Amino acid sequence: MTTARIRVRRGTRRRPRLRTGLRYTLLSLFALPWIVVPFWTLLVNSFKSDSESGVLSLGWPKQWSAGANYSTVIHQGTYFAGLENSLLVGVPTILAVLLFGSMAAWAYARSGSRSLRFAYYASSLSILLPPAIIPTVYILTHLGLNGSRAGYMLTIAGTRLGVVIFLATGFIRSLPSDYEEAAQIDGASKWQVYWRMILPLLAPVLFTGGILLVINVWNDFFFALFLLQGQSRATLPLTLFQFASSSLMSVRWNLVFAHVILSSLPLMIVYILLQRRVLSGLTEGGTTG
Amino acid sequence: MTVQSTPAGAVQSDRPGGAGDETGRGGLAGRAGGAGLRRVFRRGHHLWFALPSIALVLVFFAGPFAANCVFAFLNWTGYSGTIRWTGLGNFRLVNELGILRHAIVVTVVYAITSMVVQNVVSLPLATALQQTNRVNSVFRSIFFIPVLISPLAAGYIWAAVLSPQGPFNAFVSALVPGGFHYSWLGNNVSSLITVAAIDAWKWTGLVTLVYIAGLSRIPRVVIEAATIDGANAWRRFWSIKFPLLAPSFTFNVVVTLVGALSAFDVIMSTTGGGPGDATTVLNIAVYGQYGHGYFGTASALSLVVSLLAIGTAVPLMAWLRRREVPV
Repeated sequence: MTTARIRVRRGTRRRPRLRTGLRYTLLSLFALPWIVVPFWTLLVNSFKSDSESGVLSLGWPKQWSAGANYSTVIHQGTYFAGLENSLLVGVPTILAVLLFGSMAAWAYARSGSRSLRFAYYASSLSILLPPAIIPTVYILTHLGLNGSRAGYMLTIAGTRLGVVIFLATGFIRSLPSDYEEAAQIDGASKWQVYWRMILPLLAPVLFTGGILLVINVWNDFFFALFLLQGQSRATLPLTLFQFASSSLMSVRWNLVFAHVILSSLPLMIVYILLQRRVLSGLTEGGTTG
Repeated sequence: MTVQSTPAGAVQSDRPGGAGDETGRGGLAGRAGGAGLRRVFRRGHHLWFALPSIALVLVFFAGPFAANCVFAFLNWTGYSGTIRWTGLGNFRLVNELGILRHAIVVTVVYAITSMVVQNVVSLPLATALQQTNRVNSVFRSIFFIPVLISPLAAGYIWAAVLSPQGPFNAFVSALVPGGFHYSWLGNNVSSLITVAAIDAWKWTGLVTLVYIAGLSRIPRVVIEAATIDGANAWRRFWSIKFPLLAPSFTFNVVVTLVGALSAFDVIMSTTGGGPGDATTVLNIAVYGQYGHGYFGTASALSLVVSLLAIGTAVPLMAWLRRREVPV
């Protein structure tokens, strides 16, 4: 019995360093085709000329034409218009979803009302169920909002609220309600309790929900394709699609890639600045299944 | 601990403002008429806070969802002003056109492939990256990058990497004699699996994080006890970690499978539904019908997506939940 235990302990003490080394080697070997090759292909070919990028090699560009590629994307690909539209649509929508979602979550968590519980389940269902796009177009047409930014934003909000509501309701339910009641007895209004107590407490959950929202809303293509009309309102994914579809016939990978890089750049910059918080927010935050 | 100390502090700092508001609210309730109504208002506050959300969810999620159950049975095209009830006519029509059954099969194969790839890749990845240290943090943030780019972008990148003369085939050519120029996205057989795998690639980083979160919730003592009892890493994973990971497993399997049922973006940027209709999933078919002005059949196909999602999620969740063990 004791000898066995000693043997195990000695074994585990000597093995970790070797095993850690093996693990990092395997991880690197896996990261090579999984991450490095695709993103290197993307980056290096966006610097090449038309003919050179057609070969799709991984080599360094012989003829440097990054300037020409990126300026084509910015001018013909209407990059800045797309960026402006994405920000114009995305930022208010995400903020509104976080605000309304957390307000509703407080109500759902603290109310025993059956109708509110039903509303909670209906909202949570929107996480799993695919959106019904044709009736959405129909409803927006009848509201006079079809093709407009407002209609798009409202639809995104209505279908994305579920995530925030689900995460935040679960979190508030786990908190004792004594403090809220005490604050109200002391004379704080409902709004003050929400704004000064609930909202700050929800910050980590809303951060997690916010990350998921940003990833989903910024990259949304499905709704944008159906609901946004005209080049002037196109968000970045839509701009990318229109640009790539127009030149893909001649397969100009250098230009498509330059557009992919420019469209992904805003989120990448945010990610580089906040990566540690993003990853810990997603692992420690609301992913409690 | 810290969670509990924050609200107390917040309340104390709020008192002056809170007192000021009391008069305001009293005034409002007074205007509405007496203590009885005030109580109603108090109880009803929950509704007021939920109202914006309820309105948005109702009009832009639940409403369209319910309307779709009606639209699917209407003869409604962009070419005629009249809209008639047609019963199962739309379903019969898309079935006769050979769209319905094919699209369902393609969608299901796509969803299962994507779900399997995501979970098979991310589970070992999460196990390898579970401990939080500097090297693992770097790996975690690298493997998360694809989650951030749009599915469209993922499609374009992989369409290039997997193109007949692309880097992937170049690598294979170096291994096998005679060169290798297989068109991964141009063949009926491989295109569906390939687009599903691209979809999986885009989301694997997120699935991995959910598994890491699940793994770090497993009590350390259990793992240590198993180690002392002589269980090796393989045994520890399958006998201890994997069963205790059931909640994360349920969540990931359901979310990835149901999410992939409404696939659209990756296909639009790679094959557009082709070659032929090899990758025409239901949502691509919806877009096709919609684009031709056939709103009734588009709704019918869209309803099939919803039914597939419900029909998959509910029994799957019930079945997977049963094998969850309380920690």
